[in-house]
Amino acid sequence: MAIDDHRPVDATRLKENWDPELDDRLLCVDIHQETHDVKTFTFVSPAGKHFDFHAGQYFLFDLDLGDAVESRCYSISSSPHRKNAISITVKRVAGGRISNWLHDTLTPNATVQAKGPLGAFLRPSGAGRKFLFLSGGSGITPVMSIARDLADLAEPADVVFVHAARSPRDIIFRDELALLANRVKGFRLFLLPEDIVGERSWPGLSGRISKSYVSLAVPDVAERIVMCCGPAPFMKAARDIVAELGVPAANYLQESFDEPPLEDAPIKDDGGPETQSFRVDFAKQARTIEVPAGQTVLSHAKRQGIRLPSSCANGLCGTCKSKLVSGTVDMHHNGGIRQREIDAGWFLPCCSKPLSDLVVDR
Amino acid sequence: MMSQVASPSISALLDARLAGHSLPQGLYTRPDVFEADLDVLFRKHWIYVGLECDVPEPGDASVVELGTSSIILLRDDDGQIRVVHNVCRHRGSRLLPPGPSVVSKLVCPYHQWTYELNGELVHAPHMGIDFDKSCRNLKPVTFRSIGGLIYVCLSDNPPDDIDRLVEVMERRLAPYDIRNTKIAFQTEVIEQGNWKLTLENNRECYHCSSNHPELCVSFIDLDFGYDPQSLSEEDRADAERHQALYAERTERWEAEGYPSAAVEQLVDCATNFRTQRLIIAGNGESQTPDATAASAKLLGSMTRKDLGDTHLWGHNCWNHFMGDHAVTSLVIPLSADRTLVRTKWLVHKDAVEGVDYDLEKLTNVWIATTDQDSELVARSHAGITDPAYEPGCYSAFTEGHLDKFSTWYIERMRAHGY
Repeated sequence: MAIDDHRPVDATRLKENWDPELDDRLLCVDIHQETHDVKTFTFVSPAGKHFDFHAGQYFLFDLDLGDAVESRCYSISSSPHRKNAISITVKRVAGGRISNWLHDTLTPNATVQAKGPLGAFLRPSGAGRKFLFLSGGSGITPVMSIARDLADLAEPADVVFVHAARSPRDIIFRDELALLANRVKGFRLFLLPEDIVGERSWPGLSGRISKSYVSLAVPDVAERIVMCCGPAPFMKAARDIVAELGVPAANYLQESFDEPPLEDAPIKDDGGPETQSFRVDFAKQARTIEVPAGQTVLSHAKRQGIRLPSSCANGLCGTCKSKLVSGTVDMHHNGGIRQREIDAGWFLPCCSKPLSDLVVDR
Repeated sequence: MMSQVASPSISALLDARLAGHSLPQGLYTRPDVFEADLDVLFRKHWIYVGLECDVPEPGDASVVELGTSSIILLRDDDGQIRVVHNVCRHRGSRLLPPGPSVVSKLVCPYHQWTYELNGELVHAPHMGIDFDKSCRNLKPVTFRSIGGLIYVCLSDNPPDDIDRLVEVMERRLAPYDIRNTKIAFQTEVIEQGNWKLTLENNRECYHCSSNHPELCVSFIDLDFGYDPQSLSEEDRADAERHQALYAERTERWEAEGYPSAAVEQLVDCATNFRTQRLIIAGNGESQTPDATAASAKLLGSMTRKDLGDTHLWGHNCWNHFMGDHAVTSLVIPLSADRTLVRTKWLVHKDAVEGVDYDLEKLTNVWIATTDQDSELVARSHAGITDPAYEPGCYSAFTEGHLDKFSTWYIERMRAHGY
């Protein structure tokens, strides 16, 4: 871990944007304790560049833990209108190498290696759209960025924000959410702790999200675009509930990579023994397959009878290029895709191994 | 089938042209002449096809179609401009559709033959392990980037007098840094007329005062000639004052390091061009409705708005480079009686619409002018198609450049065997 001097920002370069093709170092400038086990880390570009990103995007961090370099994706939690810096918000996970390293070792003035912004968990644009943000635990980060974006835009918004947490003291951004609900017209907040340990006077309901809870809290859920992020069981429940309540599949978007159960899952080397597999949904064919970690999406899809266009099978020609609706992959291409296509949410299934459950628009 | 009345050969039509007169009817209207024009003037001469800023980033590609030819203008991973033929080396399929694309490799959609952006064939499935890919690269197109303007020649023997154009224009365009502009707006107008009428119409301003009220705010029709006898005493005095101002202004601009005097290579040459730094009328800054700059962010290293309008003609283009923006028009013949005019408005690549410039103000004058010209060309072509048409004489005062263009056209056709 290199500790660089905190170089003064060169004022003449303030307007220059972070270039994902050139820039890959972030300077930590602030660490903020959000809850007892969640911290927000704020980074700037060492060259003083501005970040041009969309709310809902993430950075891929390559962290040098001393004995190994580990990669993890973390959603940006800050507003895209605050261009000088980006923040990520990380929950400490028991036994989690990366999250513990960030919590215990990263200090202001240290720099880290990171690629981004990446990802396509973006709020669909267009006037008159109504949203339901559904988040569980530290899955709040991308939807918080989207909520901050909406608030900063000062445009009319119609948002219901439902956040589920383990207990009241685990509610991340609790004060700011209350502030947004007070200030932004058309922003309705529901907080749902699983139990009320530590705050016996909790005024609302507690428990897990359910069909009856969602239909009471969000009676017009069927008219809303649902953006969901959280642990896998939470997202599975959320998806089933909103589908039953009439939300068409096209209006349900989810981001899954930073769900706590996967956050610290070991990444397999090529050819290593497989113990884990990921669920890959092919949205247009309504087919779901399991792909073992360490295997490419294309080879497993073919084996299981799913037809995808392809030719070179090693990331060269780009024939298999597909939209990755959600999830993250480890992609080793040979020039068949451009960084700006990756940024726009495309990937090459022939040379990509899943790092989480995936939804592919094929 | 033979036509009932034997048509004269193209050579006979060329021979029939009278000096100082417009061309014989068949040269404007006949499909066989059109094919010959495409072959001689658009495949064997240098033509302007686009700009470096059509493909600003690695992987940007832009397909330009000329008759049956189609070329891909692109930027490779090293940021270099490349131009290749849009023809797969397998069975000839087009690789990319017309217009802009973003590519990682050039992949033929038919059988996935895959080429690097430098044209090298890197993947040809099911062709056997002994298949020699090395001689199946995409064919390159000879091109020159002149201050960011891309000129190509589709023949194997490109005329070498392009060097004069390069030498003159690189210097003149340098302060505008056209390589670092962006296309703020683009239009395509299909004129119902022969491409030579499109060019002739552009080379005179005899028609301007009656037809281009918007352009005449900033453009001075007298710059392209006038008959002093036909002007009122007052207008003549104005014209004379204007000529004196030209001499003075040109001298001053040149002394300040901005080449300004007219350079013409119009006859007895293969590559046809004219350039001059023109005075902008009225507020003197730019071709806008009130002749003030449309963009607050000036082009390139320009720090002032009083450097007039550097105009450049070729045989398939006209361009105006001003302090705050540039307008560039490219002419592509579609048939004997249809011609595509593709016009692009360029601003500094960092200029932001609505902040640094107002798109309406930027584009208003040349959108109106281009539409008016399209009407004039259609009217002209329709009349020339009439059996009653016979070539008319060009004005010695205002249409000298048309006479030179027609003379050049006849010379070039003859030089290529007609």
